[in-house]
Amino acid sequence: MNDKNVHGVVIGSEFAEIGVIVDDEGNGPRLRLEDRRTGRVRHVDALELEAIIWLPEGHLRQLLDPSADRWREDIGR
Amino acid sequence: MSATTSRAGRTTAGIDYSKLIQPDRVHGSLYTDPAIFAEELERIWYQGWVYVGHTSEVPEPGDYVRKSIGPQDLVMTRDKDGQVHLLLNRCAHRGNLVCEDARGNSNSFRCPYHGWTYRNNGQLLGYPYNQGYGGKGKLDLAMGSVPRVESYRGFVFGSFAHDGPSLAEHLGPAAGEIDRLAALSPEGEIELNAGWLKHRTRANWKLLAENETDGYHPQFVHGSIFSVTGSPIGALYSDKSTAVTRNLGHGHSENDLRPEFRNFAEPMRWFGTTESRVPEYVAAMRAAYGDDAERILIEGAPHVMIFPNLFIAEIQVFVIQPIAVNECIQHATAVQLRGAPELNKRMVSQSIGSVGPAGMLLADDTEMYERNQHGVEQLRPEWLDLSRGMKRERVDERGLTIGTATDETGMRGFWSNYKQLMEEGR
Ligand code: FES
Ligand SMILES: [Fe+2]
Repeated sequence: MNDKNVHGVVIGSEFAEIGVIVDDEGNGPRLRLEDRRTGRVRHVDALELEAIIWLPEGHLRQLLDPSADRWREDIGR
Repeated sequence: MSATTSRAGRTTAGIDYSKLIQPDRVHGSLYTDPAIFAEELERIWYQGWVYVGHTSEVPEPGDYVRKSIGPQDLVMTRDKDGQVHLLLNRCAHRGNLVCEDARGNSNSFRCPYHGWTYRNNGQLLGYPYNQGYGGKGKLDLAMGSVPRVESYRGFVFGSFAHDGPSLAEHLGPAAGEIDRLAALSPEGEIELNAGWLKHRTRANWKLLAENETDGYHPQFVHGSIFSVTGSPIGALYSDKSTAVTRNLGHGHSENDLRPEFRNFAEPMRWFGTTESRVPEYVAAMRAAYGDDAERILIEGAPHVMIFPNLFIAEIQVFVIQPIAVNECIQHATAVQLRGAPELNKRMVSQSIGSVGPAGMLLADDTEMYERNQHGVEQLRPEWLDLSRGMKRERVDERGLTIGTATDETGMRGFWSNYKQLMEEGR
């Protein structure tokens, strides 16, 4: 990654810690998000960010259910 | 069956508070008996209105701070709609502590033990591996919350009782003292966002509550800070002073220093300074309040103890948190006035000088509290005298009982309220 284009911050709380970097490696900017507790990374582009902004409250709450996606019995089966 | 007396006020039928609390004296066991402390928790701390925190400590949605009501660990939160909640810091699964940090911003909380996740209003959002519970949303559980939450000018109080008197009824005339504090801000608003100091104190909480408006001790205990700082405050607590101690009802009391400040009629004297030293603040006050600014700047800040745990000491706020019969924590912070950066800086440095780790005010008081606790644990003479100024009490134009600056009028008000709460419905 091109160092001069990296502006990293950590959005952290006692519950989670996410490293946030504006990633200019591609043909356009995107966010590189890293879960610092597991090292898992996701890149998020402008359209995906817009989708998050427009998520209804109830929908966001559903995603916060630990069983929604991350901690479920059927994953990997 | 007749009850037998084993020691003063203690019978096989329970504790007889009317024996232990008399108009002119109180019994030492009130400060040392663990059974009395247990009853206080039920009847005062887990029943009536108790000060918890200030809305300025959670300015943004998602903000939270750890707070307390006595030994109860609370999380004060602000939800997405701006509403303030008081949650009990306990997971609905197996009771783990949910929040550990003193403050933070998070719209939801995840318990570190098994990952149960809550909205910051206490609602359970979910739990990992939900098949063990038959799927999603199968549990009707939530974090506990304090059932009644009300605030007055940003001061948030909680009550564990589902019904009872309103906060306004509880505060009564003491609300006017909070108004006086707010009036010192050009914007009429207080903020408690300068950070908190915590002092663990090996003394019963009532020794602190009683001392807060005891005008008899400053000349002795606080002689060093008065002489070092050249403060004019010491003289206000002499027998010649025209200041008064006022019983505000419901256990609240104040040292009203206004008569003295009115005699001098010097703006900012209450703060130990002059107008010319804080020109921006004074100008902002005159612009905001017009002619009334002069009066506000002369009369200064209140010195009021709001039952059972909030003490506004002019430029500082103290919160008393009882932990055990012989232990409590004093939380202290500097008052901050919205729109008064010039004064706020001075408030912080004065507070560091008085209640900071090397401060000279709180350390002196705390020394007395701990000696006092040790003393009352001795068996004789059993009683603490409460009669100072009883014969010279008067009733003021508002119908409130007042004594002189050094009289124990505030303590007597504290105890009559305490007695009523401890005996109610027996
Ligand atoms: S105790 Fe909180 S998730 Fe188990
Ligand atoms: Fe283990």
